[in-house]
Amino acid sequence: MKITQQTTAHTLTLSLDGELDASSSVILDTELTKPEILNYQKVLIDCQRLNYISSAGLGVFISHLQRFQDANVKLVFFNMQEKVHNVFEILGLDTLMTIVPSESEATAI
Amino acid sequence: MPSSQRLTATLLPLTLISWVVLLVSTLLRASQPETASLSAPPEWVILVAQAVFAAGVFMYYRLQPDPLRGTDFVGLFRRLVLGPGILASICVALHLLERFVQYQLPSSDRTFFAVIYTINLGLFILFLASTTYTWRSLVLFRSSGRLRREWEFFEILLGGTLLFRLLGWELPTPVSLLVIGGLAIFGVYLSGNQKWVAYLNRRQKWEVVFMQLAILLCMTIFVAYFVRIQYDPKLIAPESQHAFLLLTVFFAAFYAVMGLFVTFFNLPTAGVFEQKREEILSLQRLTQLIQRGQTEEDVYSMLFDATVQTVEADAAWLDVEASDEMYKGQRYHITEEQCTAIRGLLADYNLGHIEYLNNDLPNSSGFRSLGLPFGSLIVMPLRSTKRQYGALYMLKNQPQGFDRENLGILQTFTSQTILSIENLQLVAASIQNERVQEELKIASTVQESLIPKDLPIDNWFEISSHAMAAKEVGGDFYDFLHLPGQRLAILIGDVSGKGITAAFHMAQMKGIFHALMQENPLARNEREKFPVPSKFMAMANKALVHCLEKSSFITASLYIIDYENRGFVFARAGHCHTLYYHSIKEEVSYFRTAGLGLGIIRHDAYEKHIKNQFYDYNPGDVMVIYTDGIVEARGANKEEYGEDRLQQMLERTYYLEADEIKNMILEDLAEFSRGQPMHDDQTLLVIKFRASQPEPIV
Repeated sequence: MKITQQTTAHTLTLSLDGELDASSSVILDTELTKPEILNYQKVLIDCQRLNYISSAGLGVFISHLQRFQDANVKLVFFNMQEKVHNVFEILGLDTLMTIVPSESEATAI
Repeated sequence: MPSSQRLTATLLPLTLISWVVLLVSTLLRASQPETASLSAPPEWVILVAQAVFAAGVFMYYRLQPDPLRGTDFVGLFRRLVLGPGILASICVALHLLERFVQYQLPSSDRTFFAVIYTINLGLFILFLASTTYTWRSLVLFRSSGRLRREWEFFEILLGGTLLFRLLGWELPTPVSLLVIGGLAIFGVYLSGNQKWVAYLNRRQKWEVVFMQLAILLCMTIFVAYFVRIQYDPKLIAPESQHAFLLLTVFFAAFYAVMGLFVTFFNLPTAGVFEQKREEILSLQRLTQLIQRGQTEEDVYSMLFDATVQTVEADAAWLDVEASDEMYKGQRYHITEEQCTAIRGLLADYNLGHIEYLNNDLPNSSGFRSLGLPFGSLIVMPLRSTKRQYGALYMLKNQPQGFDRENLGILQTFTSQTILSIENLQLVAASIQNERVQEELKIASTVQESLIPKDLPIDNWFEISSHAMAAKEVGGDFYDFLHLPGQRLAILIGDVSGKGITAAFHMAQMKGIFHALMQENPLARNEREKFPVPSKFMAMANKALVHCLEKSSFITASLYIIDYENRGFVFARAGHCHTLYYHSIKEEVSYFRTAGLGLGIIRHDAYEKHIKNQFYDYNPGDVMVIYTDGIVEARGANKEEYGEDRLQQMLERTYYLEADEIKNMILEDLAEFSRGQPMHDDQTLLVIKFRASQPEPIV
């Protein structure tokens, strides 16, 4: 799992590369736990290279969902692969989280 | 070796016979003038008998097994001194007896004299042979092959000198001097091999010195005897094997003298050797203690005793930084106050936890101010790459008390100790681990008992189940409950994560299921007696809020099947979609309904995210419910088993009985993921609705 960061004035983009399983989700959790992340208006997650997400990986996003909402930070997923999207959908997360097809749509929100 | 045994067996009689021949011919010669009946044997008989005897005795000793056992040099010397010592005593006793007889009966009886002479000659040769071959053991002790060849060459040359007298070679004096001198130098050269002395400790060296003196004394006794009688007019025997005996005596004596000096001059260094030996032994003891599985405290005290003894410290203490142990270290000839004072001083100089040697404490103003009687100090930290275990402090009264070597020894000792301490901790950890494993096994058994063993049986459906956890305990669960009015509640679910935490939540979920599926006595109508699936999920979500950690969630589906109304209702809380065979349409499809997992949002808004789905079933319909461990099972190329393949399996098997459908799916799954590790729990339930049975006639 490789996570690359890209920042603009109000937006932080995290690109996930690889498989998000029990061990790699710890890295992601460390990234999302950083207090300065709440200074952004939007946190975009680029899922283009995310091949697999386990329940531990989903758990990381779920555990930060409320915190982001309370701080008024928008969490947006884009470029999600079909099978990963399916996992989000089965769990019902697509109704709670913003998942859009492309980066331009993500920035437009 | 049988050949050498045979040789030994023939040597003994040969030697004895040659000695008897020697004795008889000497006697014949001695009694010649009186009895002329027998002609005196010629001189060559005596010489040959002498040579054969000497060669036989030497060969016999040569073929004996190496008298040196291991490095027991003292034992070797003791055996050597006792044997020839007795021989020398016999020699002296015989000589004195002869003198006494001569004094009592003054006669010129040559016979008695000749007997004594022949016996003593035999004893002398025995003594020389045993000494020479004891020396061989010492010369060749841990030697190279070259030295062994040199020794054999020396033996052959010595044997050659036997022939000098035998063949009556009259070499010109300078040549014989050259030959004998050359051989003597060879003997001197061989005498340089005194490696064995290094293996003795001080006490053994003293013992060996005295025993070498004893051997030299024996030799002196024999030589004195022969020198004394050399010009005795009664000596009628021809000159014995001079060259051979001279060279052997010379070698035996020279080696003994050399050994004596080497041992003697090595006495002062014996202390150093013993110290080294003591270090090695302490190190060995330290290592052995560990293997006996002693406690950490034992290992530390062992280190402490060993170091105090080895560096001969006048005072010492050991600090152990243990978080929970009672053992904090120990002291030797020093009070706690003094330790605290020195520790404080070292901490001021920031020297508390580094390797430090100060041999000139009186010159340090800080130390002088403490008013302690010590002159030298070593601080040796006990640490591994991971952590600091403590420090060892060694003190001596006089300045310049320690050297670099002491530091080296302490380093070796402490690193060995740390190794053992860490070993002990590893052992403790593995015991702990074993206990955890044991407890996991118990947890596994408990969990097993939570999974229903007896599947519900009725004439309107068939049910078949399969459950397998990837680890000892898992997060998958399913359960059944018969409700009044021919209704059946089926719950299936999956707790995120694996292992003990997941198992706890799974047990909790089972508790919630049984608690919520109780008949409500306050219900106003039949429908409200039991919660509908969506209500159940909302209540379960509320109950789980308090005990589920933030990043955990549970997916579940609850089905309530009603036989009387030929229908079922279910709610899906983020769980895998239900696979269904519709017998009317002859079609397999998934119920793709919406529904959020439990524990994801933790307020009343959850109710909006969960829906009930109603369906009227027909006989022959098949329902397949499962957990993600089935559809996410990986194949050889990391591909997932997937919903599509599962659907295809049901399309091929829907007409079979529930049990057979389940087995076919599992076989296909096993085929698909052959050789791959199972990374998630797998649960599979197959329910087949039967054609209505004829009602029993009431």
